[in-house]
Amino acid sequence: MTGARTAATAGLIGCKTCHLLCRVTVPVQGRRAPYCPRCGALLRRRKENSLARTWALIIAAGLLYLPANLIPITRSTSLGSVHEDTIMSGVIYFVKTGSWFVALVIFVASILVPLLKLIILTFLLISVQRGWKWRPRDRALLYRITEGIGRWSMIDIFVITITVALVKLGALADIQAMPGGIFFGAVVVLTMLAAEAFDPRLIWDAMEENHD
Amino acid sequence: MTESNGNRPPDVAQAVVTRKKTFSIIWVVPLVALIIGGILAIKAVREKGPMVTISFKTADGLVAGKTKIKYKDVDVGEVRNIRISEDLSHVLVEAEIRPEGEKYLTEETLFWVVRARIAAGEVSGLGTLFSGAFIGIEPGRKGNSARRFEGLETPPILTTGQPGAQFSLTSERLGSLSVGSPVYFRQIKVGQVIEYDLDPGGDHINFTIFINAPHHLRVQKNTRFWNASGIDFTANAQGIKVNTESLVTVLEGGIAFDTPASLQEGGPPAKDQVFTLYPDRDSTHELTYSQKTYYLLHFTDSVRGLVPGAPVEFRGIKVGEVADIKLQFDRDKLEFLIPVLIFIEPERIQVMGQQVFDEKARLQVLVRRGLRAQLKTGNLVTGSSFVELDFHPDASPAEIVRNGDYPELPTIPPPFGEIAQSLSRILKKIEKLPLEEISRGLEDTLVRLNDNLDESRIMLGGINREVLPELTSAIREIESTMEEINASYGTDSKINYALGNTLTELGRAARAARVLADYLERHPEALIQGKGGPQP
Repeated sequence: MTGARTAATAGLIGCKTCHLLCRVTVPVQGRRAPYCPRCGALLRRRKENSLARTWALIIAAGLLYLPANLIPITRSTSLGSVHEDTIMSGVIYFVKTGSWFVALVIFVASILVPLLKLIILTFLLISVQRGWKWRPRDRALLYRITEGIGRWSMIDIFVITITVALVKLGALADIQAMPGGIFFGAVVVLTMLAAEAFDPRLIWDAMEENHD
Repeated sequence: MTESNGNRPPDVAQAVVTRKKTFSIIWVVPLVALIIGGILAIKAVREKGPMVTISFKTADGLVAGKTKIKYKDVDVGEVRNIRISEDLSHVLVEAEIRPEGEKYLTEETLFWVVRARIAAGEVSGLGTLFSGAFIGIEPGRKGNSARRFEGLETPPILTTGQPGAQFSLTSERLGSLSVGSPVYFRQIKVGQVIEYDLDPGGDHINFTIFINAPHHLRVQKNTRFWNASGIDFTANAQGIKVNTESLVTVLEGGIAFDTPASLQEGGPPAKDQVFTLYPDRDSTHELTYSQKTYYLLHFTDSVRGLVPGAPVEFRGIKVGEVADIKLQFDRDKLEFLIPVLIFIEPERIQVMGQQVFDEKARLQVLVRRGLRAQLKTGNLVTGSSFVELDFHPDASPAEIVRNGDYPELPTIPPPFGEIAQSLSRILKKIEKLPLEEISRGLEDTLVRLNDNLDESRIMLGGINREVLPELTSAIREIESTMEEINASYGTDSKINYALGNTLTELGRAARAARVLADYLERHPEALIQGKGGPQP
């Protein structure tokens, strides 16, 4: 990153879709935009409006994170006793009943990971906006982690859908999905989209601007 | 922000070509999230219902955050917190009620814990065996708003919204009745006991019962309620008879009612009418009356056989009872008094006519006309007595005396009292006889007689030895004399013949005397008037 040429400085853009390296000589103006000669995808030097999009999605996810954790995700009926569980009360239930492993999985996947994603993305956004040059490699690693683990948070949603479908024993036992699950799913999807909207190359841009 | 970079003359202002900064559509996403979050937050705040504190004796089966508050089996709230009161005597359950229930939280709102309850005749709340207890609520519709409640230990019998009517009963004993005890009409369960409590005075128990529609219409003014608890066991010459309303009543008691045919008027009961709960069916035939007028009687004779509860009769019809009997001693006059308190139940007497008297004046008039109380023996075997009221126009005049709390009715001595008095006089005389002296004298006489007999025996010995030989010779002389007499007064003698005639005459005379006596007996006036008139 120190002195090496980058595609941007060389006037080249890599196609995001088919990864063909294209040279863009005409300045991008108005509605005119470069397209990939091979696959026809829009060529962009950087993801368009990346920071704003990411911010918007992060804020939306952050807002929905609260109801996702406060509103019950399931209502289980067993022999007439009804009780509703939020994600955290489910974790506590498993801890109390001794299922440490299950509790850990749910806690990590459903509470820790979304929260981590929100925090990491917020941190990355701030760092990019401020043009920080602090440990770009580590930040890039953080981004990759965020991108990679995001989908695993959906494990909770899958568990809910499967148990709701399977546990249908009428009066004996019944599990119903509650709106908390929708919010939780929305949080996961929004953070994944946010991670997608963020352009990690912005991290390096800051380094280069300084270098110039 | 693309910037065009040209080499144009500086005199002409260069238009800066930029992409119009548009509001990025992506910001709609957080906006939507914000709106959703906001709506949820507002909803959560609005759904935050009032917190109530309910005190219970025990929190058995209650779990904070889990136990529901249910009305007609619909969740209307949830227990949030359970703690123990400061004086450790009970538990305080804090619960959140749904906001729509706020207006029903009044002083009259009832809370109770629903647990599995198995009692005779009733099994309820079995669902709670698996699901855990829940708190039942009966919304209050009247009264001031309240937030602190006293939880009931047993579920109340709920009657709101149930067609039927409540009735008040009063009884001297609780029997084996309890809340929830069934009420029967012709052995069909038509209601139940809602509540009972001791009268403030403590002398009877008030029941409130609920009778379901349409059976509540069967309760008339003259309906009798009786305690149907237990078994009615009768043994007589016809055999043994066991009678009971139902097996449930044997176990947990019950009330039955019926409207017997009687002279009393029927019709729908008054709103505040209090019915008497009779101890058993038989006693319903015997009316009890709420209205009692007390009178005091003073008897001078023995009141033996008179006990509280003995009847007071007017010409043989029971009109009241003896309430109390006392023995008083007047220290000033050195006299014993036996005041007897009786009560008369005026409702027993059917009143006719229009004239209105006040009670005191009416009684005064009656006493002037000779109304007196008298002690009478009701049963000669047991000696039980009763008080008889009747008119004795020839009794010595008396007035009603108001002495202390009660008016005093004049009394007259019992009808047998006079006979008894004379009897006792005779007995007293007999008592006065010197029986001991008499017997002592008799004894002396006997001893003396004995001595005399001894003497005579000695004398007889002497006679035997000395007199007998002479006697033999004397007898021989008598024999010869008798022979001579026989000759002169024998069967064929003159004397004998004359004697026979005389005796015949005597017989005739005797017959005539008898005829006269008979006549005199029939016509004693003949002694005075003579045997004048011809025989009828």
